[in-house]
Amino acid sequence: MILRRWGSALRASERPRLSAPGRLCFGPALPRTGSAPGRLCPGLILSRAGCAPTRQPARPEKPGRPRPVPPLGAPAVPGSRPLRAGGRSWPGHPGPTRGHGGRLRWRRREGAAGGSGAPRRPRAVSWPRLRGGGGAAPRASARSSPALLLQPRLDPERREAAAAQLLLLGLSAEAALALLERSRRCCGCPRSDSGSAPRSCGAWGWTEVGQRAGGRGGHRGLPADPLLAGRLQRAVSRCPQLFHVPRKRLEAAVRLLRERCLFTAEQLREVLGTCPAVLLEEPRTLHHQFQYAYFRMGVRQKEMVKARLFRMPFAELRNRHIFLERRGLYETPHKGQTQTSNPKLKDIVQLPVKDFLASLALSTPEEYEVFKKLLAREEEEEEKEEEDVDAQYTEEDDDLDR
Amino acid sequence: MNYGLHLGALWPSVRAGLLCEQKYGALLNNFAAADHVPEELELLNAADFISEAPQKAQQWQRSAAEGEAAGGCEEGTGEGRTVVQAGMVTQAETSPPLCTSISSKIKCYTFPRGDIMRFRPARPDALGLLDYYLMDAASLLPVLALSVQPDDFVLDLCAAPGGKTLALLQTGFCGHLAANDISISRTKRLHQILHSYVPKEVRETVSVTSYDGRVWDQVKGGTFDKVLVDVPCTTDRHSAMEEDNNIFHKRRTKERQMLPMLQLQLLMAGILATKPGGEVVYSTCSLSPLQNECVVERALDIAGSQFNINIHVEDLSHFRTLFQDTFSFFSDCRLGELVLPHLTANFGPMYFCKLRRV
Repeated sequence: MILRRWGSALRASERPRLSAPGRLCFGPALPRTGSAPGRLCPGLILSRAGCAPTRQPARPEKPGRPRPVPPLGAPAVPGSRPLRAGGRSWPGHPGPTRGHGGRLRWRRREGAAGGSGAPRRPRAVSWPRLRGGGGAAPRASARSSPALLLQPRLDPERREAAAAQLLLLGLSAEAALALLERSRRCCGCPRSDSGSAPRSCGAWGWTEVGQRAGGRGGHRGLPADPLLAGRLQRAVSRCPQLFHVPRKRLEAAVRLLRERCLFTAEQLREVLGTCPAVLLEEPRTLHHQFQYAYFRMGVRQKEMVKARLFRMPFAELRNRHIFLERRGLYETPHKGQTQTSNPKLKDIVQLPVKDFLASLALSTPEEYEVFKKLLAREEEEEEKEEEDVDAQYTEEDDDLDR
Repeated sequence: MNYGLHLGALWPSVRAGLLCEQKYGALLNNFAAADHVPEELELLNAADFISEAPQKAQQWQRSAAEGEAAGGCEEGTGEGRTVVQAGMVTQAETSPPLCTSISSKIKCYTFPRGDIMRFRPARPDALGLLDYYLMDAASLLPVLALSVQPDDFVLDLCAAPGGKTLALLQTGFCGHLAANDISISRTKRLHQILHSYVPKEVRETVSVTSYDGRVWDQVKGGTFDKVLVDVPCTTDRHSAMEEDNNIFHKRRTKERQMLPMLQLQLLMAGILATKPGGEVVYSTCSLSPLQNECVVERALDIAGSQFNINIHVEDLSHFRTLFQDTFSFFSDCRLGELVLPHLTANFGPMYFCKLRRV
């Protein structure tokens, strides 16, 4: 096949598929970031994989490194319609494996039962306590804090509300102060938001797993080694929009990064430190981006962290990668292949456009502009086609989601 | 055949072009009552690349000559004058071929470089004839190269599915057109096109046949003024995108390996079907020199040695100048010209070479 004869063979990911008679597809379809967030793209294999974890066949835990779950090529429910007629999952993956390794120590906070399992520290409230690791909170006496709260530009109501919220979260006075000082916006957050903000902070469970009483079996939450909690706190303080994110979303994002993407705790800390905005993303989009890098680009977690993958919007990553791929300069590695001549993810993600084009893609800005337009149109039409195909089926979706 | 080696630094762009959506041109149907169409297309920013070409090329030349003149003047007035004169002389020399080669009635609208807009589907006029035919604009270049003159006898040896045949008819100069193709199923498509685009009286000047083109000289030898040999090839763009019945599949390996031989035989038949003084244009839609220059060179050899036919290869380099705005040409062909796919001008691949039987 001409695809194999050419020096840099086109990978299966690039091969066209006919998902409807006469229609050409140019590669696995992926949603564009921001398009209908939260909406399931039913035709997408990987969206199914993301939402139906319990349906995977039980596999014995394999020794060695746990692997992320790949997108499934077949529907989880036998007998239901194929997700994409003639579709293929991303190549190179041996098949779904699910191993949770012994390293995960996730515990999820449940309700208000923060528990006072910390014998060493007296707690004012029964809420979990923020471990102010890393020295992000400068020490200040409790006496001076009211003074600082009396800043002229804030109206008293708001100041009070903000302070109350932060203290309720179990933040120490010093930490609350630091946050208030850093993020004026936080102080100005309207009452209507107040519902979500404290929950979001508290929900991360600045818990100390080690100090919990037993009998929490099965609960998952954050591993509360102090450095991680500190990083989270710093992430929040650096990126105050996180206060406005619903708690469930934050939890989901962090859980996703740990459980599905299988970043180690160290890597997770690094990610949160370098790309705090990762927690603002829809977990689904985050997952797509991760899976794209893992399966389609063949990049492992270590490199993703080093390259600060999540700093780049997903659409731009796809643009750059597919541009390289179609020019024959990037090849999805075969299963087991460790050495490739692909450009480093770090360069792809971090170089500014001009340098990327000049040194990696060896192309001109005009060509890249036209390519982006063409790719956007391709993806739009594939999405539309998926919708049309799905509209033909009358099965209810919640069948598969349970 | 390693295209990377052959095309060098151009290959990544060509590869990306082959894997992305191709660009189309709208060949206007001169037989349809569709006078509003040019206006409609111009509103969308499309332009007839064939009629625009000479003006653009003259502008290029003028600016190039001026550039030279300006440079010359800096050195010294005496030298400057001679440079300017030289520039003007070259302009006069090159403009005749520029003008004559495109004095045809073929009109084809394309969107400008970098514009990825699509044409709307063709619509029938009051008489039921469609207003334009969407095709790869690069396919018109072999037809333009053939430069059909009034009342010529024209042979299209591998006519199906019929885009180039239709373009030949648009010139209005074909005294008689013989459209042949070995495949009956593809010939059906040719018939459909003729019925949808061409009125009855013009269709009567066309004879559609299904002979094996290789034995054409046994049917009618040495009688045509112009012959177009658009041979079957690996159809690179199609093969890069379509899995079904791909010529590069294992089961078609033998067929693929025999292609250059088949192409040579067809070209020989075309040459033998030309009367002395007539012209043959050989074209493929592949990038491979094995199917392009090598076939032509072999044919020249055989024609000279076995049949004692003298053939002259016509220079088509002015096409590169004329159409540089619309297409992306390869500048290193030994013989003939090659249009390369490029994301900003995603036409081609199209190789064409003009031979004159002396």
